Amino acid sequence: MPIITENITREKKTETDFQSPEVWTKVTGKAVYGNDFKLPGMLYGKILRSPHPHARIKKINLGSVEAMPGVYASLTGAELPERPYGIVFDDELPLAAELVRYIGDEVAAVAAVDNETASKAVEAINVDYEMLPAVFSPREALKPDAPQLHEKFKDNLAWERNLLRGDSDKAFREADVIVENTFTIPSVHSTYLEPTVCVAADDPYNGLIIHTAVQSPDAVRVIIAKALELPLSKVRIVGPVMGGGFGGRVYGNLKLYMIASLLAIKTGRPVKMQLTREEEFLVGRPMIAAEMHLKMGFKNDGTILAREADIVTDNGAYSAQAPWVSKTLSERNDSVYHIPNIKTRVRLAYTNKVPTGQYRAYGNQAANFATESLLDMGAVKLGIDPLKLRLKNCVKTGDTTVHGLKIKSCALAECLKAAAEEIGWYDRKKGYGYGISAAIHASGSLVFDKNFRGAAALARLELDGRISIFSGEQDYGQGAHATFTLIASRVLGISPEMITVYSRDTLSSPHSIGALGNRQTTIGGKAVQMAAKRLRELIVLTAADMLEDPVVMEKGTLRSASDRIVELPLVAYHYHSLTCGLSLIGEGRYVPEPSEYDETGYGNIAVTYSFAAHGAVVEVDKTTGAITVHKIVAAHDSGKIINQISAIGQVFGGTTQGLGMSCYEGYLFNKGEVANASLADYRIPTSLDVPDITPIFIENEDPEGPYGAKGLGEIVQIPVLGAVANAVADAAGVRVTDLPITAEKVYQALSGWECE
Amino acid sequence: MKKEIIKFILNGEQVEVYVDPAKSLLHLLRNDFGLTGSKEGCGQGECGACTVLLDDLAVNSCLIPAGKVSGCSVVTIEALSRDGKPDFVQESFVEKGAVQCGFCSPGMIMSAHALLKQNPRPDAMEVRTAISGNLCRCTGYKQIEEAILLSAEKLNK
Repeated sequence: MPIITENITREKKTETDFQSPEVWTKVTGKAVYGNDFKLPGMLYGKILRSPHPHARIKKINLGSVEAMPGVYASLTGAELPERPYGIVFDDELPLAAELVRYIGDEVAAVAAVDNETASKAVEAINVDYEMLPAVFSPREALKPDAPQLHEKFKDNLAWERNLLRGDSDKAFREADVIVENTFTIPSVHSTYLEPTVCVAADDPYNGLIIHTAVQSPDAVRVIIAKALELPLSKVRIVGPVMGGGFGGRVYGNLKLYMIASLLAIKTGRPVKMQLTREEEFLVGRPMIAAEMHLKMGFKNDGTILAREADIVTDNGAYSAQAPWVSKTLSERNDSVYHIPNIKTRVRLAYTNKVPTGQYRAYGNQAANFATESLLDMGAVKLGIDPLKLRLKNCVKTGDTTVHGLKIKSCALAECLKAAAEEIGWYDRKKGYGYGISAAIHASGSLVFDKNFRGAAALARLELDGRISIFSGEQDYGQGAHATFTLIASRVLGISPEMITVYSRDTLSSPHSIGALGNRQTTIGGKAVQMAAKRLRELIVLTAADMLEDPVVMEKGTLRSASDRIVELPLVAYHYHSLTCGLSLIGEGRYVPEPSEYDETGYGNIAVTYSFAAHGAVVEVDKTTGAITVHKIVAAHDSGKIINQISAIGQVFGGTTQGLGMSCYEGYLFNKGEVANASLADYRIPTSLDVPDITPIFIENEDPEGPYGAKGLGEIVQIPVLGAVANAVADAAGVRVTDLPITAEKVYQALSGWECE
Repeated sequence: MKKEIIKFILNGEQVEVYVDPAKSLLHLLRNDFGLTGSKEGCGQGECGACTVLLDDLAVNSCLIPAGKVSGCSVVTIEALSRDGKPDFVQESFVEKGAVQCGFCSPGMIMSAHALLKQNPRPDAMEVRTAISGNLCRCTGYKQIEEAILLSAEKLNK
């Protein structure tokens, strides 16, 4: 049954509206974020960065920096063992040893008594560089005579994939209608509002503790322990409250953490390091840029026969997750529709630019812009209504897609129809442009570690009858803690107010892969469900032992067959005394079926899949090219919604981010230098830019997810791009194939005028 | 760096501080007074996370030199809750689900107060304009707008 929420002002809260009590600390200014956190004797660190896109460090002249008043230590790459680290490839060092590969590369660092002193000290360091030729375009970088960035990666080719399904050459020969085009997507930054910050502290008892808010603390801890050769059990991440992540902070800023740690070890004092907003744009790991040449073949009746793609993605100077993002970008979209024949070549190229990472929908949103634009071009050529074309080809429950994804629950057709209906697709008004777009996204990705696919959680009964949940999955504003609380509350039959979720200390929470691949609700939430179930069993057993009679648990009360009653605190005390100090702890684990994919990547890669269709209504001023987005309808199949208030918030927020990517955002480079490294120049949507957004949830129960739920946090961003692009093309009569779609570009397309 | 004595009213109390007058009000509040509720998202007056009330007007405290607040009244997010109880705007933000990561919330709430002081019955467009200098990356602003409209309703009851 669909929930259509046009206005979120509701008279009554539903039982699925819950927020973590932490929200009260946020509105009163009491929540402690990274930069609010201090330790006694704490120093402040600053980094000297390369001003050149590609150069050899001949000499670093520290001069008298360490003798400056207030300066405690300096650090250069020369002091460190040359031990590269990375996420997919080991291609980075904490500080440059010999080469700098982009403007912003970390060269030296200083710890001082305050930020001002540290900045002055860093400025006093003199570096002698030998300039090297640099390359900024990924296509240029792949040519054999291009300047080389990494010895290990010939022709700057970081990663390549050639994917064949069926016989696309034959399919294109048989196609009645073929469309092709090139689409370009710039690098975009997650632009979490809180700049990345950490406080590293080291002592012989605690070992290294890094106080930082990061989406995947356990993964960070493992990488840092290995890179700095520290015992894993002596590296601990403790999280303050996190000011947004959106996938951009899956691994936080590893270099910042490592440099702060090395300075803390060297000085014996805690060291705080925070990126400035400008540094965030330089080193904050934006999502890869992409150039996608796509070709699609159809039968006259609209049946999609084949898709070919030649994609080049821009890695920047170092790799992080770029190969994984390139993979998702190049293939996930193929599973929205039945496309029996696929031929894809994707190449990831190193360039002397900002190193990349990822943003929310992992490249799937960029691919949505390209694929859904091309699909509409096909619809025009075929003379078929774009909605009908999509409904004809979209996947459904029970399907196995061209790449082997097993679709266990799917309301994509219903999403398409609901979004179309709500934007007035069947009764289009003159002077407006209408666009529609569809998406699939992994819900609980299984591919990050074949041997570690699931999650674990602990549920502990406290002596006062409250429940503590320990999970390694992070809440950074998206509401994971509230979702977990509601799940545990449903299992245990007690009020959510009696439950607290703890996740921010790697010492007390189970190890987790972290907040990526839409894992939180589907995988993390299921582990919480299992832990709560186990705790419930243990409570019932213990109460039965106390009352020497079988018991049932109802609303947090245990009742024996002979109608004797015992409350939770007494059960907790009973077990506590019996065991001299132990607590009842439900250990929960969720271990999904192995995803058996072959060497071509064919196979099921996630626990389940979320679906969505967005519709957009826009107006284009044909004299100036100015675009006004009036309405976006976001219809989602994320299974059963666990927490309505936060689900709606995800849709509003993610759709707005998608709109930013569609119309406003993108890195601008000038010979490798970021030309818009500030919030004034890198424009994210403001309150005046947001159109009327209507969330719609088609609540289909998913057989895998906890209480039938699927992921929502990432997919909300995806179909916006295609819907807006198609609506603008519909209104303007011309198509912009280069993101962001700005008034200038529409004007250029309309007038044939080109600026220098 | 020449220091001066600066006297002003901070959250209703007369205070006096010996400080470099060029220091930003934001750093003065956070570092000298320990009032870390005001956030630094950019330090360049572009995000609004540091918004405080300066003589009842919403300002980016990162752009105000400490010397300029001499003789003025400064109100920060910390002053809103009384006896540990959040005020009506803070409550409305929670009721409407207007808070996700929360980093923009203190600045948003201060901008809301500045608006309601000048215009106790704002319409949706006036609310949007009032918070257009406060960036939020999580919520898409809708629930914030609803929270401020709800605050206005409560104010006028």
